[in-house]
Amino acid sequence: MSSRVLVVGERRAGAIADTSLEVLDTAHRLAGDGGVAGFVAGADGEPAAASFARFGVPLVYWARELSAEDSAAGRIAPTVAAVADSIGAEVVLAGGTTFGRDLVGYLAIRWNAAVATGVTDVQRDANGLHARRPIFGGRATETRRLEGWHVALALRPHAFPRPPEAPVPGRVETVAPVEPSAGWREAKCLGVEATPTGSGPSLGDATIVVSGGRGLQAPENFHLVEELAASLGAAVGASRAVTDAGWRPGSFQVGQTGKAVSPQLYIAVGISGAIQHIVGMVSSRVIVAINSDASAPIFKVADYGIVGDLFQIVPALTAEIRKVRGT
Amino acid sequence: MEIVVCLKPVPEAETRLRVAPDGTRLDPEGVKYVLAGYDESAVEQALLLKEATAGARVHAYSYGPAPRTEEVLRAAIALGCDAATWVEAGAASDDPIAAARALGSAIGAGPYDLVLCGKQAGDDEAGLVAAALADVLGVPEFGYAVNVRWDAGRARLTLGRVTESGLESWETPLPCVVGLQQAWNDPRTAKLPAILKSRKATIGRVAAAEAAETGRTTPEGFALPPPRIGARMIEYKTPQEAAEKLVRLLREEAKVFP
Ligand SMILES: Cc1cc2nc3c(=O)[nH]c(=O)nc-3n(C[C@H](O)[C@H](O)[C@H](O)COP(=O)(O)OP(=O)(O)OC[C@H]3O[C@@H](n4cnc5c(N)ncnc54)[C@H](O)[C@@H]3O)c2cc1C
Repeated sequence: MSSRVLVVGERRAGAIADTSLEVLDTAHRLAGDGGVAGFVAGADGEPAAASFARFGVPLVYWARELSAEDSAAGRIAPTVAAVADSIGAEVVLAGGTTFGRDLVGYLAIRWNAAVATGVTDVQRDANGLHARRPIFGGRATETRRLEGWHVALALRPHAFPRPPEAPVPGRVETVAPVEPSAGWREAKCLGVEATPTGSGPSLGDATIVVSGGRGLQAPENFHLVEELAASLGAAVGASRAVTDAGWRPGSFQVGQTGKAVSPQLYIAVGISGAIQHIVGMVSSRVIVAINSDASAPIFKVADYGIVGDLFQIVPALTAEIRKVRGT
Repeated sequence: MEIVVCLKPVPEAETRLRVAPDGTRLDPEGVKYVLAGYDESAVEQALLLKEATAGARVHAYSYGPAPRTEEVLRAAIALGCDAATWVEAGAASDDPIAAARALGSAIGAGPYDLVLCGKQAGDDEAGLVAAALADVLGVPEFGYAVNVRWDAGRARLTLGRVTESGLESWETPLPCVVGLQQAWNDPRTAKLPAILKSRKATIGRVAAAEAAETGRTTPEGFALPPPRIGARMIEYKTPQEAAEKLVRLLREEAKVFP
């Protein structure tokens, strides 16, 4: 069984987002002989379109004239639906970012698609497609059957591997945009203030996250967490105790009222593991906790635990990682 | 200004999750429903905008089955919403797109300028309703929004959107839909007299519109992850030893070392 699959790419810092590349394995598997095509929007979208092509998408449609400096999916959804129709796609896949999740919401109406977000697995059988996704903050998973002619899925970030580069790159073709609904003409994005993440990747994109909590005791100690993160090329996160106290801005907060992250590796330093923090990180693949209190609830969800004083453990760990990685 | 808030009842956070006998969904037996967290934020946001804008009104809509849907609407009235409409759900009540279509046709039948939704509900975590609802209404949607303000002089709504790249600043005329990510540390709580009064409030009632031939999703499996057995604790004598052991485990066993 095969079907044509359209993958929608998102630009990030002049290139393509990792979360967009992560959908390619699933796209090729679902497409079979049906073929995969790509889509990228924006005047500065060419490098992103070219990276899709480099990673094995045979033909990438680039909607150059579509304004896409911001990440508003509503401006782009009509063109995505039109391209999907023009190539006879049955499935649209996007990374499950803020953009990708909104995009499939629009496609549910505009393209009459059966949709799901935060998807960690897609299977096809005689009854069609089935998507598995964590719900209730990772405390359960559900499987849903996707019924209808069209399917649009936002795949959970970092739940799928990034493919290797293809031996033969694909090509990029420009495509004419479709005007979004009238209301978008007067809506304006006035600018984007980059999240202060230090030099590392942003929380939502990172494959490794190191978060610090109240156990660091004072803002001037938070550099211990940042150095550990830097040694791993990780993003820095924080508990609400830290953001509420103003040690770090709210954009660092992981949890129910902050960001939900699902990296390959999550390291919690001096974080007790309140349920509101847990729901934001429990679906990480591997969790490490460093805490002086052996009965801290964070150890219940962790895979590896070190009971000890973070002021001794964290510098030793940073040094060891630097040694092993040769940095 | 006519402000609409869309509310979803969800199982309260402390609910012990169990699989229903048919294996496809959460066992509803004994589950207590409350207003979803981000929807609670949306109510607070709606009431703050109403207080700051002369002549503004807040109308709460909720899609779902009895009795929980009516209960969250009464709670919204007790908090200060002016009107409430229950969009009665049929069998497909757990499909977020069915919810968006039904809410869209109910909201579109009345006056509206600003539609506020929570960015996602804590049960299915789909985060689909705001965008889909906007497309049903044919207006723009701004998801993951914070710092929502109404500039009456310029007739523009200003807001921030929290994305992976940073904080986007937007301004837009109305009507539009906003998916709210804002959280307040101390949203208002209802006073007893208002709660008592809300019990007698009239709740409007409309039947969910029958969707035509559309894509839909049906739950067919609900599973609880095997309980995490708890962390493997690393034994050590010196911090260096702890660090070496952890790095070795991350490299060789977990295979997540960069
Ligand atoms: C509605 C609501 C929403 C919330 N949303 C969030 C959210 O999104 N994200 C979030 O994080 N929280 C959230 N919270 C707050 C949450 O309940 C906790 O209060 C918070 O997560 C605690 O942060 P913490 O673990 O850093 O601090 P604490 O709970 O104080 O834990 C500090 C930990 O550090 C350890 N420690 C102390 N000294 C050392 C040392 N020298 N070495 C090693 N370990 C040490 C202690 O043993 C302790 O376990 C929310 C709360 C509410 C009510």
